Amino acid sequence: MSLPLYYFLAITAVYILMTWALYLPYRVAHLHFIVVANMAISGYFGGYAAINWNWPFLLILAVGLILGAVVAFIVSIAIGDAPTFAVVIVGFTFIYITKTVIENWEALGSTMGMFGIPMVNHVLLVAYLFVLVTGFFIYRFDNSRLGRAASAIFVNRELATSFGVNTKHLGMFLQTWAGAIGGATGVLYAFIMNSLFPDFFTFHIIGITMTMLFLGGYTTMWGPLLAAPVLWGLPLLLPQEVASWKMIIYGVLLIVILLVRPEGAITRQVAARVRSIVLRR
Amino acid sequence: MKKRILLVFMLVILSVFVFANGAKEEPAASTETVQSSFQVTEWEIPFLNCLTGPIASIGEYLEWGAERAAWEINQAGGINGVPVKVTGIDTAMSPETGTVEMAKLAKNALVVMGPVPEPVILAAVPIAVRAGLYSFTATTSYEYAAKFFPWAISWFSPTEEKLPPVVTAWAKKNPDMKNVVQFVENYGAWPGMAKAHEIGLEKAGVTVLNQVDVPSDAVTFGPLVVKALSQNPDGIVFAANAEKVAKLILELQSRGWEDNSKLLVFSSADDGALYTTGGDNLNGVMIYNYVDPDLDTQRWKEFRAAFKADHDGMEPFSLSPNYYDAVYMIKRAIEETGITGDPAMLKEERIKIRDYCNNIQNFEGLMFNWSNKDGVPQDKPLFLFKIENGKKVLVEKVVPSNK
Repeated sequence: MSLPLYYFLAITAVYILMTWALYLPYRVAHLHFIVVANMAISGYFGGYAAINWNWPFLLILAVGLILGAVVAFIVSIAIGDAPTFAVVIVGFTFIYITKTVIENWEALGSTMGMFGIPMVNHVLLVAYLFVLVTGFFIYRFDNSRLGRAASAIFVNRELATSFGVNTKHLGMFLQTWAGAIGGATGVLYAFIMNSLFPDFFTFHIIGITMTMLFLGGYTTMWGPLLAAPVLWGLPLLLPQEVASWKMIIYGVLLIVILLVRPEGAITRQVAARVRSIVLRR
Repeated sequence: MKKRILLVFMLVILSVFVFANGAKEEPAASTETVQSSFQVTEWEIPFLNCLTGPIASIGEYLEWGAERAAWEINQAGGINGVPVKVTGIDTAMSPETGTVEMAKLAKNALVVMGPVPEPVILAAVPIAVRAGLYSFTATTSYEYAAKFFPWAISWFSPTEEKLPPVVTAWAKKNPDMKNVVQFVENYGAWPGMAKAHEIGLEKAGVTVLNQVDVPSDAVTFGPLVVKALSQNPDGIVFAANAEKVAKLILELQSRGWEDNSKLLVFSSADDGALYTTGGDNLNGVMIYNYVDPDLDTQRWKEFRAAFKADHDGMEPFSLSPNYYDAVYMIKRAIEETGITGDPAMLKEERIKIRDYCNNIQNFEGLMFNWSNKDGVPQDKPLFLFKIENGKKVLVEKVVPSNK
């Protein structure tokens, strides 16, 4: 495999996972940006553990996942059933706090960044296995009673509560799950990049993954799977003169999609149609 | 039914691994010295730059400098008679884009200029190091390039060696200045530069007060200025981005600050936004950097005139010559080491360029001549200026010794 393709696929996996990490809490109308902070915390933890403790990659990945879940769970106790806007504000604040702590922590490289995270074999394989496992569980969730309960909360929280759905517990569950994905993705990202910089984990990740979520479609897990490689890969394939307009292209696409197809490119109807075609064959 | 959907999903993901056994290293070229009959038709120098995004204005003049050098070289007959071309590659300051673009270059490029700036350097240079590709990270501080030595080079010597003398020189120009406060933005090497300022101030017998942190997303500067003034400083050093420095100075003046000579701006803020935002309010403010606009050489005068013509009369900024010089350094390395550009000798020729540039002697830069010792530039001067009507007037040239 060529080196550019390797990095393209590796970063595509990161974007798919981070977009799913946003997708899950959004099933109950939570824009849960804390996942970016989870990504940073576990990424830096992973880098530190690899450089200073020589921990093996898979152990770091497992601990990074748990770390992400624990942090997200603790926060979710407070915001498990908070309104969307409150969750957004908490997310931004948490990212800012995390970034400030990293920038002032000498052991993590502070503002200079963290260098020399070792190369490990099969990061790409592990990343896509993780995509596969995560996708499997999200698929199961989406087609379960819990998934339907989440859809009910998305449409009308009060109505869902009156049906007996525990909105707080479901919100906490999805936020914790998303935090675990964010944490594991941070570790993968650290081992793909081999260096970390505080500015890696800022609003540009939110901007890109939000675009992927809303362009791809936020009502099914398939939207991010389609949007991540297309949106991330397109500017790399376009001529330099056109690629420079990437952010404008993203913006225009987002506006057009929101106007024409508010649910994104892959809606549940589209997914159902594709499913029926696949099954017919 | 669900199982079939899942099966399709799993097959799609797993199909990636039919091809994905990890990134394989390119086959190593022979390191034996052999005569090549290969004839290169154009020297292409890729430049990983930021042509869009938050620092596009800086990327533009870095690119301008590199292309100016290529144009001059081609006018004079090229490199060993072969034309040179600088190819700007836009990373838009995205580390992810930087990795893929660097990965594209890893296989065939003889050398790479950039990346710019630090987030992209951290993401992309490890790929270049693994591929044995030498990176001219000419605008970053020494401390970043040193992490990738010998595969990356900075135009600057260690921060704690180069900056203290110029700050000491500024402090000595103001003998009545006893207490100084610094505004510091937490970005990349800037806190390290602020520490180096402190060393220079302490050497001049000046007390350094508690620094005031400037948030990266700051939009109002009143509270920061009040925090600084509450310590009763009689001098202020700025280590933040150009626009924020200008706004801090305006805010200081609106709160009664009068003596601009006791304000010192660091080199990284010597950018267009400082002058366009600050305007005449900057008159008398001191600034240090690496470019003397009034240098009296024909080469510099032509560069300066061309830059001003292409930039609405703006003077060349502090980092303007860096990639201009980088192209010339590559030219000299190719000519002096007999590089052929033969793809079969790529690995060997990359190492030749690396070793030559890391220890280049008496290199004729745009502003001055210098030598490198193990990748560290020796005795490069800094210039202390006073800003007058948007122009920099030289106050003192300072040469920190690092031999």
